[in-house]
Amino acid sequence: MNDPATVPGRRIRVWDLPTRLFHWTLVAAVAAMWWSAENHEMDLHLRLGTFVVGLLAFRLAWGVLGGSTARFASFVRGPRAAIDYLRGRSGPAIGHNPLGGWSVIAMIALLCAQVGLGLFASDEDGFAVGPLSNHVSYETARDLAELHEILFNVLFALIALHVAAILFYALVRKDNLAGPMIHGRREAPEGAEELNPAGPVRFLLALAFAVLATLLLTRWL
Amino acid sequence: MRRTLLLIFALTGIVTVAQAQSGGAAGVIRERQANYKQIAGAVRTIGQQLRADQSAIGQIRRSAALIAERASQVHRWFPRGSGPEAGVPTRALPAIWANPRDFAAKANSFTSAARALDAAARRGDLPSVRAAMQTLGRTCGACHDSYRAPEDR
Repeated sequence: MNDPATVPGRRIRVWDLPTRLFHWTLVAAVAAMWWSAENHEMDLHLRLGTFVVGLLAFRLAWGVLGGSTARFASFVRGPRAAIDYLRGRSGPAIGHNPLGGWSVIAMIALLCAQVGLGLFASDEDGFAVGPLSNHVSYETARDLAELHEILFNVLFALIALHVAAILFYALVRKDNLAGPMIHGRREAPEGAEELNPAGPVRFLLALAFAVLATLLLTRWL
Repeated sequence: MRRTLLLIFALTGIVTVAQAQSGGAAGVIRERQANYKQIAGAVRTIGQQLRADQSAIGQIRRSAALIAERASQVHRWFPRGSGPEAGVPTRALPAIWANPRDFAAKANSFTSAARALDAAARRGDLPSVRAAMQTLGRTCGACHDSYRAPEDR
């Protein structure tokens, strides 16, 4: 959030329901994927992976079609904006701040890379195999599996940074960011514009894109 | 042709044993690992073909035959001295040589599962191949759980 100084009582909508559902489903899915990999539940891991492909495809589409605060165009800003934000020189706004916007992009990009590696990877004994792994040799699939494991550590670090940032806002700046991601509303800074939500047709379009992309990547290719 | 093949097999066997006895543990381990990698590659191929819309039965047959052929040799891949004490990286655990009877029993169930898979593949019976792959997976896992160290990455 750009300015913690809020007008008490003026609560506005910040995050639309699909964005919030995406966020918390992804949290649960990533946790379950980590658990299943650690415990060698590879059938579950592969099924969850397919689901995460769908989630990410939905978020990419929602970044174009979704409500105003979910759109990439609304929160992907240049480095100047991020520096201004750090110096406290940004105007009032809701949604991702210029710095947080970049961490969202980093998170989505990293998750796409991670799931992308998983699509081609293979386990040591050849039983747990990503749906696109037939396009590469066993040796390459093993190398990609190793990268998949290494990249998880980077992902884990980014998740830790994300949680740390939320704690920083909550404890130091007295700004609760987790609540709005659950119920969608927050006290608005003066002069901030409310969320401009997307209609059901746009939601169905994004959903259709997600289903088609998932089928393409895990079945048809 | 058959006699030549037999001769080659016999010579390979003699060389393998000789290497093991003459301290060629490194060679035994390398060969063992190469064989397991080929089995894994063949397992992977069958799994992929079973998932494909049009399963290539030829690829399944070739891979199942390779697995059955290698599986019949497993009991020869672990001569004494080819464990961690060989000084070469290997994840074969000393428990193999501490429990030879259990290890042999597990190796035998792997061999039978591989034979069943091969038979199903020869018949071109895909549902049986699928079932045989699950059985095979369990026999692989049974050994790896007790006798193979986890990957350290």
